[in-house]
Amino acid sequence: MAMATDNAFEVDFYSNSTTTSITDDSPACTWNHWGSPVVDWNSFSSDPDDFQDLIESMMDDGTGFELARVAHETSNSVSTDTMVVDEETNGDEDSKGLRLIHLLMAAAEALAGDNKSRELARVILVRLKELVSHNDGTNMERLAAYFTEALHGLLDGSGGGHGKHLITNGPHHHRDEHHHTDMLAAFQLLQDMSPYVKFGHFTANQAILEATTHDRRIHIVDYDVMEGIQWASLMQALVSRKDGPQAPHLRITAISRSGSGRRSIGTIQETGRRLVAFAASIGQPFSFHQCRLDSDETFRPSALKLVRGEALIINCMLHLPHFSYREPDSVASFLSGAKTLNPRLVTLVEEEVGPIGDGGFVGRFMDSLHHYSAVYDSLEAGFPMQNRALALVERVFLGPRIAGSLARIYRTGREEESCGWSKWLATMGFKPVNISFANHCQAKLLLGLFNDGYRVEELANHRLVLGWKSRRLLSASIWTSPHSDL
Amino acid sequence: MNSHHDNRPMCVQPDSGLVLTTDPKPRLRWTVELHDRFVDAVTQLGGPDKATPKTIMRVMGVKGLTLYHLKSHLQKFRLGKQPHKEFNDHSMKDAVAHTWYAIRMQMEVQRRLHEQLEVQRHLQLRIEAQGKYMQSILERACQTLAGENMAAAGGAAGGYKGVGNHRGVLPHMDGAMKDNFGPTLNFPPFQDLNIYGGDQHLDIQHNVERSSPSLDGHFMSNKRHGPYGGGGGTGKSPLIWSDELRLQDLGMAPSCLGPQDDPFKTGVIQIGPPSIDTTGIGKLESLSDIYDTKPGISNDGIDERKFELSPKPERPSPRRAPFQTERMNP
Repeated sequence: MAMATDNAFEVDFYSNSTTTSITDDSPACTWNHWGSPVVDWNSFSSDPDDFQDLIESMMDDGTGFELARVAHETSNSVSTDTMVVDEETNGDEDSKGLRLIHLLMAAAEALAGDNKSRELARVILVRLKELVSHNDGTNMERLAAYFTEALHGLLDGSGGGHGKHLITNGPHHHRDEHHHTDMLAAFQLLQDMSPYVKFGHFTANQAILEATTHDRRIHIVDYDVMEGIQWASLMQALVSRKDGPQAPHLRITAISRSGSGRRSIGTIQETGRRLVAFAASIGQPFSFHQCRLDSDETFRPSALKLVRGEALIINCMLHLPHFSYREPDSVASFLSGAKTLNPRLVTLVEEEVGPIGDGGFVGRFMDSLHHYSAVYDSLEAGFPMQNRALALVERVFLGPRIAGSLARIYRTGREEESCGWSKWLATMGFKPVNISFANHCQAKLLLGLFNDGYRVEELANHRLVLGWKSRRLLSASIWTSPHSDL
Repeated sequence: MNSHHDNRPMCVQPDSGLVLTTDPKPRLRWTVELHDRFVDAVTQLGGPDKATPKTIMRVMGVKGLTLYHLKSHLQKFRLGKQPHKEFNDHSMKDAVAHTWYAIRMQMEVQRRLHEQLEVQRHLQLRIEAQGKYMQSILERACQTLAGENMAAAGGAAGGYKGVGNHRGVLPHMDGAMKDNFGPTLNFPPFQDLNIYGGDQHLDIQHNVERSSPSLDGHFMSNKRHGPYGGGGGTGKSPLIWSDELRLQDLGMAPSCLGPQDDPFKTGVIQIGPPSIDTTGIGKLESLSDIYDTKPGISNDGIDERKFELSPKPERPSPRRAPFQTERMNP
């Protein structure tokens, strides 16, 4: 993990006060609500290393764990592009980052343990709280702030009303709390600072274009249309298409969920209006529909309006940074329902997670930490010196995702499978579709607009993966129905 | 295969199975199997241009096969002749094959380049389209906000000039938008958005130009101006001039938005600043300072301060990119 070295960071190691740099009022960030620390940190004067001694002294009954072992595991489980493990010298940012990692891991371990160590976790989290900040400092410090918060949520969540609310609704709950202008601004920033959104959209769109070159009617069923921006570039491409019929008719059916409350960047109806207006502005024949899911988010293919002769495309964007979390059952219902429709193409974009292994909660926790540190680094590379912009994106999108993700790992023992849905589609009988040279080329060019640290890998003929440095982050894969002759 | 060698005495080497003539200068007979192995080895090594006699020899692992044999065979192979034929360096067929092969390679390379250029061009247009769409979202939000702020105008402390419907939002911008909010707003010139009946001409857009690595204002330049601001003169937001048209379309009285007294009127269009909310102007200001002040930004002159990253005071004429980089035209 690259450390940002040009941010002045001041931390008051000896203060017992809450970090004043947290200015927002999001409910998740209410440090004040937490209980006072078990230990009065004022009584410890100097080196934070004393903390480790404290921990060890607390563990004289043998139920604890050795931080040395933690440190060892850290250096094994963290990948090669993390900071160099060096001696803990004061003022060395790398070691500070490493210390934070140690603490986080210790807290995770404590949380995963029995009740006795939960108090230990609380202590560690309090300590962490003092060292981190949501808005200031290095990437690691801000990242650690959100992870600390998420862990604290887990601590309180099993029982606490407020915390529980945090966990189960996770990002969705948070999202509703943010004012929609925050959302918009953060979304705009996200798009400018990073290629995540565009990578998913453009790769899918290019595949759609290639699969429908001779079609007069195209029908796309979009699992999560959000604000609809994916279709802007598709429409533009359709309008300027030289080969094939001129101006094919595009129809988009957006899957909507009942009772999801007000979407943060606007409702589906608004999205529909916007898309209609945009299509009109460029002369693209277009119509927009909605298809409601049941209250338990079951997808009923029969509820779709289909037209003879149209090319049916299933578009499934998951896990883009600004997206809400979708329950696996919902996604499964959608994709299996889609199979019965014999779609021409299925475009799937999902998060790429590290291998599951049997590291348990702590292992998954560390993997998640690695994942998000790569994301943070990539954003920072896209927007150097713009801490506040970063902080906004982190607060609005990443923080809630981290909290939700950790909660799911904690609850179920695992997050989504590595490229889970991709594998799932394969086992369901969907056939992979090759990603063309042009598509791959487009992805590479797109990344080139951002930063050298991004890379695109062709992990399989039908799958492109976007990564930052050595960490794979987002996977785009293309499929067709089992009976298709694509 | 080697017809005119047939009258030479041959013998098969016991160890390697190679067929050599028994001349004083032994010539190797390239049998079908041997040639196949040769082709396999060459393929393994990445093609006739990448393989060298030495590496081929290693990969083939055939006893008795020497560099001398391989050199000449490889040369002939590279010329693209079909196997099993006698290769005569001076034959017409060789020349033709050689040329044909070279032309094919050339065509292939050109085809790829062309395809890549096409992809690049399409990518630019697609990014533009996203930008336009984003703009429509933000306008919508601004309008909504203007409505909300109106409602709250009565009770809010300070800051509101309270003149007319559309002013409510703007005074916020004055103080709040001081820091350059431009970098993220890579919207193409507004008139390209047909919604308002503007020109459909798709110039190369600023966002693309800014982000193209080939330009001076490189996206990832170290100049710390944010992604679109590397260096002077490259980061102007097109909205500087396009929004005047826009505002008129919206029916906003231009008079109350004269550039002299309202330098940040365009803020209305660009974005609801991150946290306009009815509960606090102070919060708005603090969050609008999201963009840390960039060292290169000039603050002289009201107009220049708006969203330009360049110290140059000139305003681009509408409908044209402020900086002409012809090579970027598709």
